Parts: sequence; C-alpha cells; structure tokens
Amino acid sequence: MFRAKRRTVVTVTAVVAVLLAGALAVTFLTQGKGNASDSNGTVEYQAGQRPLAPDFTAASLTGSSISLSSYRGKTVVLNFWGSWCPPCRAESPTLAVLSQQYSSKGVAFVGDDVGDTPSNALAFTRSVGITYPSVSDPSYLIVQKFSQVAPVSDTPTTVVIDKTGHVAGMVLGEVSYGELTTLLRNAAVTQ
Amino acid sequence: MTDVHTPQSGPEPVTEQDEATRSFGTHPDVADAGAGADSQPSPGRAGWLRWGWRQLTSMRTALILLFLLALGSIPGSVLPQQGSDPGAVEQYYASHPAIAPWLSRLGLFNVFAAPWFAAIYLLLFASLVGCVVPRTFRLVGTARTPPPRAPRNLDRLPHSSSFPSALSPEAAVEGAAALLGRQRFRLRRPDAGRGEHWVSAEKGYLREVGNLLFHLSLLGVLLSIAAGGLFGYKADKLLVEGQSFANTTSALDEFHPGRLVSGSDLAPFTMTLNNFTANYIESGESRGQPSNFDADVTYTASPGATPGTYHIRINDPLSVDSLKVYLIGHGYAPEFKVTGANGQVAYQEATPFIPANTGTFLSDGVVKAPDASLGFMGVFVPTAISVGGTLESIFPAADAPAVSLIGYSGNLGMNNGASQSVYQLDTTGMTEVSGSPHLMVPGQTWTLPGGKGSITFVGVKQWVSLAITYDPGQVPALVCGILALAGLLLSFFVRRRRVFVRAVPAASGTGSVVTVGGLTRSDASGGFEEEFAELAAEIAGAAPGPGSPPGTESTEES
Repeated sequence: MFRAKRRTVVTVTAVVAVLLAGALAVTFLTQGKGNASDSNGTVEYQAGQRPLAPDFTAASLTGSSISLSSYRGKTVVLNFWGSWCPPCRAESPTLAVLSQQYSSKGVAFVGDDVGDTPSNALAFTRSVGITYPSVSDPSYLIVQKFSQVAPVSDTPTTVVIDKTGHVAGMVLGEVSYGELTTLLRNAAVTQ
Repeated sequence: MTDVHTPQSGPEPVTEQDEATRSFGTHPDVADAGAGADSQPSPGRAGWLRWGWRQLTSMRTALILLFLLALGSIPGSVLPQQGSDPGAVEQYYASHPAIAPWLSRLGLFNVFAAPWFAAIYLLLFASLVGCVVPRTFRLVGTARTPPPRAPRNLDRLPHSSSFPSALSPEAAVEGAAALLGRQRFRLRRPDAGRGEHWVSAEKGYLREVGNLLFHLSLLGVLLSIAAGGLFGYKADKLLVEGQSFANTTSALDEFHPGRLVSGSDLAPFTMTLNNFTANYIESGESRGQPSNFDADVTYTASPGATPGTYHIRINDPLSVDSLKVYLIGHGYAPEFKVTGANGQVAYQEATPFIPANTGTFLSDGVVKAPDASLGFMGVFVPTAISVGGTLESIFPAADAPAVSLIGYSGNLGMNNGASQSVYQLDTTGMTEVSGSPHLMVPGQTWTLPGGKGSITFVGVKQWVSLAITYDPGQVPALVCGILALAGLLLSFFVRRRRVFVRAVPAASGTGSVVTVGGLTRSDASGGFEEEFAELAAEIAGAAPGPGSPPGTESTEES
C-alpha cells in the first residue's frame, strides 16, 4: 500500500514535470513577436479595399489652416513625425527630395508634427530644408483618427492617400526612397 | 472539488440500503479523481493519452499547479517588476550586477509575462476545464435523477418511526405524499399495479445547484482573467501641465497590449492636464512628506463628446469609457528656450526632469536642441540652497526653483535614425561649452561663450505620470468570484435528505401501519434529526390513528 502510494506520487510529479517542460517549450517557441514599436515595413491596400482617410482641419506650424479634404484630386503623402524623434530626422532628407521630385506630378506632401512644439519643429524643417507644410498635432489627435482606420501605431509613419481620399498604403517606421516611390506608383491606380 | 471523497469499497451485493443511498453526495467521478491516478495505463497510444489526460485533470494535479502558481507569484512581489517599475529594475541591475542577468533570463523581472508562469497558468486552466466540464454534466445528471424507490424495511434506516393509522394504506400514503409535496420535496411513487403503497421524497437539490454554481463560476473566473489578458491593455503616459494627449498607441510612452488588442481597439478618449497640485507638510518631524496630490484634468470620452473635468488623486482614478486612469507619479518640467548661433529659436518646451531624490525632488534631465547643435545636462532643484557651492534641495515644493546646467555643443547624434533616450544626452560628438555648471533661476538667460547661442530658463511646470488600464475581465471576475463563494456556501450548508413513507394494511384488518424513514449524508451539518421528527409527526397527523390523538409510537435514532 505504502509502496503503491509512493509510486503514484513519483509518477504524478514526473507527469507534471514533463507537462510543464512541454508547455514551457511551446510558450518559448511561440513567444517573441515583439511589441508594435519594432514593426517596420509597408502596408498596401488594393484599389477598392482602401479605407477612407479621416478628414482633418488643423493649424499649421506657421499658423495657417490646413485641411486634408482640400487636397482631394491629388495624391497626398501624409508623414507623421516629430523633431524629437531620431528616425523622423533621419528620413526627412528623403522626404524633402521626394517632395520636390513629385511636386509636378500631382502629389502633395503634408506633415503631421506630433508631440512637439512649433518652435522645435520649425527649427528642424528650416535646417533640413523641408518646404512642404506640417500641421501642429501636439496631442496626437490626427494620429488617433487615423489609427481607427489603419495601423498607425508609432512615429514615424507615412501614409499615402490616393486622389479619392482613400488610404492606398503606408510605411511603418523610417521611409526609404524605394518604399515610398513604389507606394506612390500603386496609389496612382484607383478604381 | 468541494465534496469529501469517500473511498469506494470493493464490489458488494447491491442491497436496498445501497439503493436508498445511491448517488447521494458521493458522485461517481470521485472514483476517477482519486483512483484514476493509480490506475495503470492500458497499452497503446490511446491508452497513454487517456492516462495522461486523466493525470492532468486529476484534482491532485490541479492542486499541485495551484500551489505552483502561488509559489511562482512570490518573485513577482519580492523582485522589482519591469511592467510596474522599470526604474527599480535598473537599480537592481546596478546593485546586483552578477545575478540580475540570470534573474532576467529566468523571467523573474517580468514574472506574470514569463513563459514558465504562462505554462503553469495554461496547464491549470486545462486541468480545471478537463475536470470541471465532465463534472458539470455529471452534476446535472445527479440533480435530475428522481429519488430512489423506498426500501422495504424503513426501520433499518438511520431515522425511522412508525404508527398505526385509521386510513387505508393508499389514503395514508396519499396524505403523506401531499404533505411532502407541499414542503417542496421531489416525489416518486411506485409503478402502477404493483400493489405497493409508498412514496420516496427527496429535498436539498440546492446542494447540487450550489456545487454546479461553484464549478461554473470557477470557470467563469478563469475565463474572465483570460479575457482580461487577451483584450485588456496597460499603458503609461507622462503629461506636462497644459499638455493634452489622445489615447492612441503612438502617443503613449509605454503600451502593453493583451494578445488580441490592436491599435484601433483603444478607447478614443483625449485628456488635458490643466493643473497639478502637490501639497507637502510644511513643518514638524514629517516636513516634506506629501499630504495631497491632485491632477485637475479635462477629458472627452470620444471625439466630439462633451468634455468632463475630474480631479485624479492617489487611489481615485478617473473612469472613462470602461478604462481607468491612475495617477502614479509626478515631477517637475522646467521650461527652456534655446536660441542658436543664428539667433533663431531652436527649442522651446517644458522639459520633464526625473526625480533623483523623491524626498527633495532634486531632479535630473537633459535639454536637446539638435537644430542649434546644443545640448544641456541639468539638475533641477525645487527649493534651492547652496551648500558649499553645491546646489541642494531642502523642500519638495517649487518654492525657490533653480537649475544648474552643463552646456555641450556639437552633433547630438539624433539624425542617424538610432533611437535614444529623451532623458540622456550622448556627448560623444560634443564638447563642453564652459568649464563649470551654470546656475540659473526662472527668467534668467545664459549667453553661451563663443557666440554659440543662449538658453533661457523660462519657468517651471509640473508633470504627472498616468497609468491607463483597461481590464474587461475585472467585473466578471468579481461577479464570478462572489457566485463561486455563494455556490460553495450552498453546497456546504444545504443537505440532501430523503424521506420514505410506506404503508401496509394493519394486521387487524382495518387501517394501516405507516412507517416513515429518513436518510441524510453523514458528513452534512446536523439538524436533520429535528427536521425528521417534525416531519414524522406531521405525517402522522395527516393520517390520524385509530384512537385520537395520534402520536408516534416509536422513534429510533441511530
């Protein structure tokens, strides 16, 4: 009787240990998706499946009023950035160049300066030579609107909006010249 | 899991007594919960699988896992945790450089997200589900079974009494059945045409209901916790007076979403910190101790909604749209204006400094003006005195604020894309602009040597650190917890009890002899004796004897 009991205890302990080890292995293997801030890459929507970009009207860094709907008929590159954000600073020369190259092709560049002050932001745009306008969005209100329709979850994010005002695609994280030109080419294809 | 398990003895001939006690609290699953662990696996893969499943779902395994869960939570409360206090974790690393990396590898700085913790939790979940679900079906079955047939010799039952009645056996049993039915007993009568006159009555099904409620609520608790883990989220946000933020992933400093939370699931509220007040005890032994914190905020639950105001205090969070916003910290944010060599403003912002001493709120911080190629490392003191040339703070309130800055010029390294902490200045590509720290009070401007620009200490604001939590499982878990307790109490205090009444024709030829027997679980709480005696008297009263008044002739109690 005693021996039988002890054997049971041993088997139960062994089984629990094996199961624990198994579950441990499974959880270790399935873990490590990382958090959203590491996500980089592009998201693209085919014509017909593009979410409608939320409209906004906000003050620009220099005090004038900008609304997204006033760009209807043009492709819009909307860049969420901040002067405090190193990847945003690193990608800005690319954006400055592209905005010049595409200005004659019906593409408008607009910045959304988040978590920032106009003084800091303007000092940066001056120094890097960005001439397109940015709206001042210190509280991330416009980001919040966009996050309801598209995975805008970190700064920087660059959203390409087609001529009909729909989100054609986006670059999560620092943009590269190639990524953005590809998105712009595809955005030109509307339904 | 509440029942006391009675070991099943070996096979014995089924007697009427056994029939009367059939499935009486001792549930059939008792055998496999205890004995299942001992049984040898039948050969073959299916046999092993069945054996393994039985091991996992045995109560013993569940208890071991529950114990491991409790044991595993201990490091979570002893060691600093990454989720709740990352600063303390860094301090731990600094003071225990040898063992900290090992503890980190074992996940002990983030116990509740560690794989091994999840393993225990998931196994416990599987074990409980595997135990509770089949058990629930069995409990439903038990609760639906009609009472057993009345045994032939009721006087062998633990409680019994018999009396002669003037009524016929049919009438006597009919009266007893009506009486028991009125008392909400569940009844069973003999099959027609067998010439027997008896009634079996059973009461106390609430015990089974309680048992079921307990088990289902237990599952509910687990599911609620799982729902919280899958759909809930935790976030931190530092907010300076006068600033606003919208509840969206990019705006949050820390964001810990549940497995199934995406950015668009966040409640679209916005909040502005109008003003933060911290009061400190001014005199006495506890001078400098905080007496009150109050964050005056304006919020909108969703875009376009009517703004509301609230005073968030310690332990008094703001509830908005089923999430809660807690005040978890505060500090000072001195406001600076930096002008570059070209004379243009390159930086103007209230810059959060981190308290290095929570008693005096002496705080450290940096100012980064990359577009003027200037950076500053600073110490902020709310109530400044100079002790031998060193700046010290003597009180946590901003009564005489001052900053001491060390200026650097050069490349801040912010344009290469690599992220850096906003609280640290990388001075590798920079040179110090002056030999010694520069002391400033609000309103003063420091013109840097060599025409590199200037910095003005504009004023002082305060910041608060907010924790935003959304746990959809919290309320269901509480409700299920209460229900589980209620079920447990029901199953503890309600007795299943059976009463049998059997009438046979009297030997004299007229009237009948009525026997009443009673049975309850031996381990249930007492009180059945009284109940039985009362019932027997009532049954006797309903079937009056040949000579009035009727009375119980004999009462045997065992």
